[in-house]
Amino acid sequence: MDKSHYVMLMYLIMHLGLIFFMYPENIIASTDAVHWIAIVSGLAVQFIFIAIYMKGLNFFPGKDIIAIYGSAGLGVSLVFLVPIVLYFLMINIITVRAYSEIISIVFLANTPLWAIMILLMLVSTYIAAKGVETIFRTGLLLGLLFLPMILLIFLASFQNVDWNYVFPLYENDFTFWTRPTFYQSFFAFAGSFLFLGFVRTHFPYKDNKVYLTVLSLVPFFIFSVYVPVLTFGQNTASTLHFPYVVVIDTLQINWLIFDRITMFFLFTLITFIMLFTSLILWMTSRIVSCCKPSIKQMYYTQGLAVVIYILCLLVPDWKKVETLFTWNAPLRFYCLIAIPLSVYYLGLRSRRKMRHEHA
Amino acid sequence: MDQTLQDLIYKFEDNDDFFLQRDFFADRPVYLLGLKSLIDMARSRTFIHQYLDQAISNNTALSDGALMQMLGEVRGTNLQDISSSVYDGKFIIYFEHVQQYVVAEPVPNLLSRLFDTPTNENVLQGTLSSFVEDIDHNIGIARKQFSSESLRVKSFSVGQNQQKRIALLFAEGHVDMALVEQIIGQFETYIDHDINHIQDLSRTLGLSPWGSIAKFKTTEMPQEAAHSLKTGKVVIFVDRLPFALVLPNLLWDMFCLDNDHNYSLPLMIVLRSLRIVGVLITLIVPALYVALVAVNPEVLRIEIALTVAQSREGVPYPALVEIILILLILELIMEASVRLPRSIGPTITMVGGIILGEATVAAKLVSNLLIIILAATTIANSTVVGFQNSLSIRLFKYLLLLLAAVYGVLGILAGVVIICAYVASLNTFGVPYISITRMKERGNHG
Repeated sequence: MDKSHYVMLMYLIMHLGLIFFMYPENIIASTDAVHWIAIVSGLAVQFIFIAIYMKGLNFFPGKDIIAIYGSAGLGVSLVFLVPIVLYFLMINIITVRAYSEIISIVFLANTPLWAIMILLMLVSTYIAAKGVETIFRTGLLLGLLFLPMILLIFLASFQNVDWNYVFPLYENDFTFWTRPTFYQSFFAFAGSFLFLGFVRTHFPYKDNKVYLTVLSLVPFFIFSVYVPVLTFGQNTASTLHFPYVVVIDTLQINWLIFDRITMFFLFTLITFIMLFTSLILWMTSRIVSCCKPSIKQMYYTQGLAVVIYILCLLVPDWKKVETLFTWNAPLRFYCLIAIPLSVYYLGLRSRRKMRHEHA
Repeated sequence: MDQTLQDLIYKFEDNDDFFLQRDFFADRPVYLLGLKSLIDMARSRTFIHQYLDQAISNNTALSDGALMQMLGEVRGTNLQDISSSVYDGKFIIYFEHVQQYVVAEPVPNLLSRLFDTPTNENVLQGTLSSFVEDIDHNIGIARKQFSSESLRVKSFSVGQNQQKRIALLFAEGHVDMALVEQIIGQFETYIDHDINHIQDLSRTLGLSPWGSIAKFKTTEMPQEAAHSLKTGKVVIFVDRLPFALVLPNLLWDMFCLDNDHNYSLPLMIVLRSLRIVGVLITLIVPALYVALVAVNPEVLRIEIALTVAQSREGVPYPALVEIILILLILELIMEASVRLPRSIGPTITMVGGIILGEATVAAKLVSNLLIIILAATTIANSTVVGFQNSLSIRLFKYLLLLLAAVYGVLGILAGVVIICAYVASLNTFGVPYISITRMKERGNHG
């Protein structure tokens, strides 16, 4: 039974929630012009590793990534799964803390930070505790409800663009590879494709559909950077935090009863982030529950949620959040590079072993 | 008189509607037994006499055995058997010379409502027949509506204190047989549990009674039941409950009426979209009012913000209290209008409407904008198909209201996510609540 549409929608939702916040700022800071080269390079790296990952997973039909590493031995499992757990924990902490801060700054200035964080954590834990099928079905419902609105706002954001800022179209300037902000931009997509390895058993999907979804997100990546650049110009845009949100703030839609639509855009993306957090939480508790399967996974989920919440409370301000970002970078690249390569290698090895057995 | 007959008379001694009468059928002495309240005795006797006269005029000699076979089912002298047949409303004929009991089908007293129009559901230009209390009539109507060879009927008699008849209908070839077998298994395991209402039925089937969304679709209309059978669902009838219980209930059933197919396709699509919009309005609009008035007023355009503020001028308490007060009064009115007799009902609702509409606003207890919003919400609530579904939506809007009062628009969206997650996690016998039509999507949940 082909359930690719669940996986495609989930992939789309997860990434849309992440793209529009910090990615534009990082790319604009990495290079002065011809941003599309930076964007396309980053996306190409991601595409290559997703392809390697899925090809590796195809060697083990019907198995998820924990079973794959488990069959290769305890040492291998520890080397690969422990960094994943740490990476996921850090991502959850950073995401919840950063987005709570954004909400607090932009809209709910009178609500204390811990109250906003507890809302995000409670909703995500509720969804995660119910299991992965619930997460994906919730994704389907939320996608049906909110994606049209996001697309409309995305199209409306082109209201004040001046296409002259597109030029120059090509420069032989590859210095962005040396800037740390370029590597920080990988937050928007590195590691979030790992869920493909966890859900094979519940939601069988076709690889082509995943590639299609990855490609369909490319315009969103490109324009999330270009819309601020085209509206404000490179010099102004580089001074802004969250340039895309500022662009949405400037939109004027006369026939709507609301003054600015920033709030709906932001909060819709926050719902996608709640889903993202719940999926990451579920994956983390899945790995952790393999240590002691006798306790139900739901308790691990709740325990991990409490841990994440407490750690979020300990982060005092935005500077610390950015520090956490930088600390997370090595884990991010480890997960981006090492996990797909190791899965592929294990796949090749198991195929060679099977060939030996047959021969 | 033989022992069993005396035992029977003794058993029914306290029932004054039990009759025992001597008669002669084709010159054989018989005793007629039965419950007067369930059987039209005079007509039954007349029919039997006419029948026998005709039979005798055709054949001159009739043996005892042949006569008894003609009248009904011949039973032994088991006291329990005979007395349960009496309670079932059957007519017992005791042949004195051969000491055998014959259980015959009598002319029953008309104790059930005749076929009627649906009382709780309305259709425009559609079939107007409805299910009634008697289970055999219901099965008959269902067979007439879904006249297919693949329709199967399976009956159970459940309960310890009272024997209630339950019928399970399914269309072989359309339904997933594993689902049917699971349901039959549940009935057979819990055959001793009494079933008087839907909560009992949920318990017997192993479904949790705590779900906020109904697990069964209850419908009075035969075409809905037939449509459900065709799409692979199972229909359950309970004796004396005048509706069909369709299992499993799916999300799409909330917006879909089979009668929509009687209109053209664009109209059908528009009507269904209208229902979806109605549900969204019911859930979101009251919460949006509280959020935009109390927590996030800067979002509105300046003209509307001023209008809203002006409408709330002089209202002494916060928006949340105001809205909960009026919602409480509305809920009380809705509940009261179900209880009131038909003669007084319209008067009370009119008085309530005038009080709400004019007096509270004039007294500056609530803003008039709020009354408009809540009226729109109440109307939108009723566009949903299925009364139980509209009750569920009514319940969910309070969750969104509370979240909106604390967190503003973020609370509304978080509430929508929670409701979506709750709805996505529901499943009946493995069939997830949000599957659209095909029920082959049974998965494992972990």
